[in-house]
Amino acid sequence: MPGLPPSVDLDECISRLYKKELLAESVIEAICAKTKELLMRESNVVHVRAPVTVVGDIHGQFYDLIEIFRIGGYCPDTNYLFLGDYVDRGMFSVETISLLVCLKLRYPNRVHLIRGNHESRGVTQSYGFYTECSRKYGNANVWHYFTDMFDFLTLSVVINDQIFCVHGGLSPSIHSIDQIKVIDRFREIPHEGPMADLVWSDPDPDRDEFSLSPRGAGYTFGAQVVKKFLAVNNMNHILRAHQLCQEGYQVLYDDRLSTVWSAPNYCYRCGNMASVLEVSDTGERFFNVFAAAPENDAVKDQQMNQDKSAEGGALPDYFL
Amino acid sequence: MDPTSKRPPPAASSSTTYPPLPKLEILNPSALPSHRFLRPAKRINEGPDVSHFLTSKAYRDIGVWILQLNHALVPRIIKKSTTASTSEPTKDEQQRRQQKAEEANEQQQPPPPPPPPTYALAAKLQSLRKKKDEQQQPTEEIKTFPLPRYRDGEGVDHQEEPESIKKLQRLLKKVEAIIDEAPPDPGPRRFGNVSFRTWFKLLEERADGLLREYLPDGVLRWEQSAGGEKKEEEEGTETETETETEGDSDKKTNEQKQVVGPLEELKAYFLGGFGSAQRLDYGTGHELSFIMFLGGLWKLGGFEGEEKDEDREVERRIVLGVVEPYLRVIRRLILTYTLEPAGSHGVWGLDDHSFVPYIFGSAQYTRPISSPNEPTPLEGSVPNASKPSDITKPTAVERYRTENMYFSAIGFIYDVKKGPFWEHSPILFDVSGIKDGWGKINKGMIKMYNAEVLSKFPVVQHFPFGSLFQWEKDPEAGVPAQSVHMQNQPVASAASAAVTGGVGIPTERPSGPGGVTGTAAPWAQAPAQAPGAGMAPPMTATPWARSTGAGAGVGSSAANRFTPFKPAGGPGGAPHTGPPPPESFPGGTPGTASNQFAVTKAPWAK
Repeated sequence: MPGLPPSVDLDECISRLYKKELLAESVIEAICAKTKELLMRESNVVHVRAPVTVVGDIHGQFYDLIEIFRIGGYCPDTNYLFLGDYVDRGMFSVETISLLVCLKLRYPNRVHLIRGNHESRGVTQSYGFYTECSRKYGNANVWHYFTDMFDFLTLSVVINDQIFCVHGGLSPSIHSIDQIKVIDRFREIPHEGPMADLVWSDPDPDRDEFSLSPRGAGYTFGAQVVKKFLAVNNMNHILRAHQLCQEGYQVLYDDRLSTVWSAPNYCYRCGNMASVLEVSDTGERFFNVFAAAPENDAVKDQQMNQDKSAEGGALPDYFL
Repeated sequence: MDPTSKRPPPAASSSTTYPPLPKLEILNPSALPSHRFLRPAKRINEGPDVSHFLTSKAYRDIGVWILQLNHALVPRIIKKSTTASTSEPTKDEQQRRQQKAEEANEQQQPPPPPPPPTYALAAKLQSLRKKKDEQQQPTEEIKTFPLPRYRDGEGVDHQEEPESIKKLQRLLKKVEAIIDEAPPDPGPRRFGNVSFRTWFKLLEERADGLLREYLPDGVLRWEQSAGGEKKEEEEGTETETETETEGDSDKKTNEQKQVVGPLEELKAYFLGGFGSAQRLDYGTGHELSFIMFLGGLWKLGGFEGEEKDEDREVERRIVLGVVEPYLRVIRRLILTYTLEPAGSHGVWGLDDHSFVPYIFGSAQYTRPISSPNEPTPLEGSVPNASKPSDITKPTAVERYRTENMYFSAIGFIYDVKKGPFWEHSPILFDVSGIKDGWGKINKGMIKMYNAEVLSKFPVVQHFPFGSLFQWEKDPEAGVPAQSVHMQNQPVASAASAAVTGGVGIPTERPSGPGGVTGTAAPWAQAPAQAPGAGMAPPMTATPWARSTGAGAGVGSSAANRFTPFKPAGGPGGAPHTGPPPPESFPGGTPGTASNQFAVTKAPWAK
């Protein structure tokens, strides 16, 4: 792969990451730089062909990501579209995003990564990724490499010209997908405007139109908005993530919109199922539902003991 | 600050005297006959408003109140010879003591100075052996304050609670009983159960009646003396100035000028304590609202006996007899309606929903104090307290969760979380390794609460302000004290310099009772500091700014006003002083994360 230092062997990186080993800081730096170059050439609306398996929020639940590959097939045998929110909250955001980025670099046409609202400097400073990077690497450098790369992630994907895929939802500023194509996306996610709405908005089945979101960013949008958007753009479905679903997915508005959620037993407590959405070459949709990875706690505890001895404890400084 | 608390008679053995500790002011209806209540209004509309909040009277009151409650739970050394007010250990305590004795003690701690303890936690074998002797010697005993035992669905079974506390317990029972009227909807749902909206609606509809029936008499007294048709000119100057100087929208001002009674004002904090019906979630913002509902009751004289109470017995009852039952109701709501931990920081937060039980629970196990005004110790544990590391042992947690609020909260984590404790709760796990005792944990929890709850926009944005908790600037809050944690207000970074001006969410966002939002918008994080521009956030020296040692710091004088923990004659000052360290962070200073954890080596760098 031109541009990557000869010392970086992507296949080796991937096999280490499958084993949940961290890559060295310099390797992350090189990989993120290379990924930026790759992503820069992608449009704000990437067109792909089915079959493709679509994955929702992962939030650092690395073991569950591996479970997804076990269930849905490994790269490059299965094409994957990830809808964002790879990091924050979970314990293994670094491992998760490292693996996904390496897979993207290795199989650029078989793996697609969309930007979620958590792929941002602001959010990751609050919700864990920054802390995790500092803790696992001893400094924030890899957080800088990753978040700088996030600025280049695409905002949306269209499958078979029929299914519009985005992390959050629609925007009152966007009627036609051509309006997405002209957004200057190479930046931190702004506080408002169409780019913010795409990663922040949620459907609200109790409403017809747009309304301000209680999240403090983006909008909620109803059935009329969805119908109109699909008609204007000559598509038949909107596929998004961004919201926890008890059953792993939720279908709304007469099968016009789906939410896919891929973090089972979210935050170790929610008891929810997860799913990936498999879109067949003819455009049929099938939710492949799964529960939390049956990870062996003994193995984890063993690993913890290794980690702890390496780290020597890490106490929040409130307690120092 | 505290006209009511008297100095205790000098203790025979103690030569140290302490100035009175701050207490939340109790308003006097006869002195303030025309106190005008206000319908509390949202004032924190965008990030920078948090900076103002941190210098407000409300913020001061929140700090004083929580530290006041915290201090009440710290174990006491009681001089038996002088006061002889030893109450007989209850059956519960005897059982508990016996249980502990049976558990034996691998980690016999040195007995407290001087002779052996006889009460609750402090007992064990030693005291059993020496019990006979003790009765003849003038001695000291250590008194701890475990949670009262709860009978199934009956609440406290042995405590002689004051009527005000009993009424609040009945109020919570009524609130909890609404769950039976709003069973979870079995139908399809995304996550949170929509029946919570039914539950909340019933609560809203009944709130007036419930409060009128169950609020302490002292509060209802204000119904006659205040409100009414008073003219605005007669009003207390504070609120008057507030509305003028703040000059919010006319609409808001008018709304505030509506004549309302004390119930109306308290109701906002009460309802704000039970989660968000819209978002079907619950978080520390809601918890704060309920704590300040209790603070409001205190201010209005709702708890009898405060004037006479030198040793904070009433405050103790409030925490053990009201706050803990409240948390139990909340836990049931969370389980019944699967309220989403939407504002949770996942494994990188202390707890998905709660914070105060970690403060109060660690206080319960802190090293005992020997006079009522001795500041809360900053390290050390009461003899025979459970060990911090016990939180990782499920059997120990089962045992202690009935007596200690920290363990009660940990127990709930065990109830709801799957997986290794170190993985799903790494902060609590790391804290469990602290060697300097529960006092150290208590101190850290309070600092963390100030930084991660009170200083975070997504959490405090819904906190409303009125006549009891005022938006107005605290005139004595002037001197900024710098804390690194206050810097974790994400600001736009280099790549987004274009939008740094737009910090803050649109002001017309719907407001609701307090709490966390979904993943809150990133900039919705509090004071928009631009460290790049060399701006330190205006931080009031707070009740939280406890002295941690040599700190001839910025804001030390202001901090001293509120340092209940400051050893007499010891150094004052804010824990973090001076300007923030220079950071090569492009446009932003990720204070929390960078400082929260000790620097560690990458695992492969062996």
